[in-house]
Amino acid sequence: MDSKVSLALIGLSHRTAPLGTRERYVVSQSDLPEVLRALKQVEGIEEVCVISTCNRTEVLVIGRKGTDLPAHVRAQLFRNLPDEQVYAYEDVHALIHLFRVAAGLDSVVIGESEILGQMKRGMEAALAGGTLGSVLKPLMQQALHVGKRVRSETEVGQGTLSVARVGIDMAERVFGRFGSVRVLIAGAGETGVLVARHLKEKGVADLVFTNRTLERAAQAAAEFGGRAFALTELPALTQKSDLLVACIEAEHPTIDVDCFDARSLRRRDRPLLVIDLSVPRAVAPEVAKLDNLILYDLDVLQEVVQKNLAERNEATDSTASILVGELHKFLALRTYASFSPAIAQMRERFEKARDEVLDHVAGAKSSPETVRLAHELTKKQLDIALDSMKQGARHTRSEESLSDEYRRFLENL
Amino acid sequence: MLQPLAVALPVGYIVAALLHGMAFGGTRAPHVTRERVWVLRLTLAAHMLWFWALAETLQSFPVVDIASTVSAVVLVSALMYGLLARSVKHAGSGGVVLGLAALLQLSASAFVNLHPLPRLAAPTAPLGPTQIVHVSLSVVATASLLLSGVHGTLYLVLFRLMKRRNFGPVFEHLPDLDLLARLTRGAALVGFLCLTIGMNLGIYLAHSEQRPGFNYRETEVVLSILTWLYFGVIAFSKRIPGFTARRASMAAAVGLSVLLLSTFLLFFPRLAFHSNL
Repeated sequence: MDSKVSLALIGLSHRTAPLGTRERYVVSQSDLPEVLRALKQVEGIEEVCVISTCNRTEVLVIGRKGTDLPAHVRAQLFRNLPDEQVYAYEDVHALIHLFRVAAGLDSVVIGESEILGQMKRGMEAALAGGTLGSVLKPLMQQALHVGKRVRSETEVGQGTLSVARVGIDMAERVFGRFGSVRVLIAGAGETGVLVARHLKEKGVADLVFTNRTLERAAQAAAEFGGRAFALTELPALTQKSDLLVACIEAEHPTIDVDCFDARSLRRRDRPLLVIDLSVPRAVAPEVAKLDNLILYDLDVLQEVVQKNLAERNEATDSTASILVGELHKFLALRTYASFSPAIAQMRERFEKARDEVLDHVAGAKSSPETVRLAHELTKKQLDIALDSMKQGARHTRSEESLSDEYRRFLENL
Repeated sequence: MLQPLAVALPVGYIVAALLHGMAFGGTRAPHVTRERVWVLRLTLAAHMLWFWALAETLQSFPVVDIASTVSAVVLVSALMYGLLARSVKHAGSGGVVLGLAALLQLSASAFVNLHPLPRLAAPTAPLGPTQIVHVSLSVVATASLLLSGVHGTLYLVLFRLMKRRNFGPVFEHLPDLDLLARLTRGAALVGFLCLTIGMNLGIYLAHSEQRPGFNYRETEVVLSILTWLYFGVIAFSKRIPGFTARRASMAAAVGLSVLLLSTFLLFFPRLAFHSNL
């Protein structure tokens, strides 16, 4: 970091504060400009950005070296909160924390990607409020880049964690694209509507609802542009469907083997996929034995969710190298940026020396060729000097030492 | 150059197959997307170079005997796979397609005739343009049928995994069932069309040049007609009531097995096609 400024991150999150406290400290999008303005006016604070979600409220500040930034921010925003509910990280640890937040490693659901949008909104609000400057702006941009890299290069963001979505993922493994898939949703309650919404997003065009009360099915069908039928028509409807999603509330399975015509099942080109999201099960387990039919119930989908969760947790180890690499890159850039006054001075001195030599050697008789040569030579020398400075900036903090720092940070979590 | 390349080609295909199959290793498998694309490209380029060098050495069209035909089928199927993977944006079947390609190329490299005076492989007269088209279309057809069979087999594997609720890395990285069914039938259709033209050209050649040794009971001719009929049924199976995607896949998988068995058991020992002509 620049030797004249320091970075601090102060906040509370699901790790330190209960939901009730977090709710009280959420900074809404409409309040954000006011909060940013108030923080910017605090003595010693030069740049500020606020990230606020239902799980965390964090303030990222750049201030003059020597200023007790955490104390100022606490006094301004987190007054009357017990010490253990508010955390404060400074300099490299603040960077590590920010990158981990962007990567979704500090989220309730590891790898969730909503945080990137929330950080982006925080950054845009700070930009609009004029509280982002030459340090925080590139830092926030780099944090967003880290978040995207971690999700694309590791398994952290992979695998769905909602049962309904896992069901749709399963359907995707059968049908690929949903454009030509005929979907039958049995049960037009909350889950049925949620599934319909997901499927609509995926591009399903042919959607049929069936429900005990036809009125409710008709309501859902009207909302999603589908067709509605009574539940009694289910056997006939299954013959014309590729995907049956059951979300029926009943004490005993409503959909049994008799609801399917085994002969027509065997003759259909695509297999029929049946997803049972009901608790207790609405589809009798024997249905799975039918030929050319695949049945997944809640237990199966829940297993997939657990597996995805375990894989995400496992994948967090592989993010360390990305985070440390990006940290190193950012610090090198900051160090190099802090050289800019010296670079400007050096450029000036090089050019002055060149002009003096030109005057001394050739005086007024110097040919355009000599002048061009002198300019080229100076430029080349300056480039070499700047390159050495860049190399130096890169070695100010080695990746190994940052790796150790990262390990220490994790140990203190 | 021919000999080193003949040795290098199976190795190239094996490495490409391993890199493509790495996704099946699960979450711990390294990400090698770029590497697998480059290894495949390099192997294909080396394979084309090998055929060019073979043509130079033999002073004729390089597909002259069983081994070079098998090698050409390998090249075309790997090329077709590369194009398919690019167009459907899915490389899930690469490990199997290229694994099979590696196996076939290994056999081809072992049996290929690299000498200017072939044992009995090269026809006495150089191949004319019509003959080259006949041979090329037969090669493309065989490569298509091979792809159809592989995708059909993968359809059956994925269906079984789904039915048994086995959601491991193989389940996750194979293309979806619908796509596998489309690829099975699509490749069978390409093979069927190429074989239709290729076979007719062959018959035309036999009659126009009045080859005395030609007859319709020749193994190659009988097998070609049977293959043509068989894959024709698979290609148009969607229009046949009751011929489901799974049945078409099963048929394509059986077809692939027969194709491979006939290549290894019937043709390899004979060294050349139409050897009585």
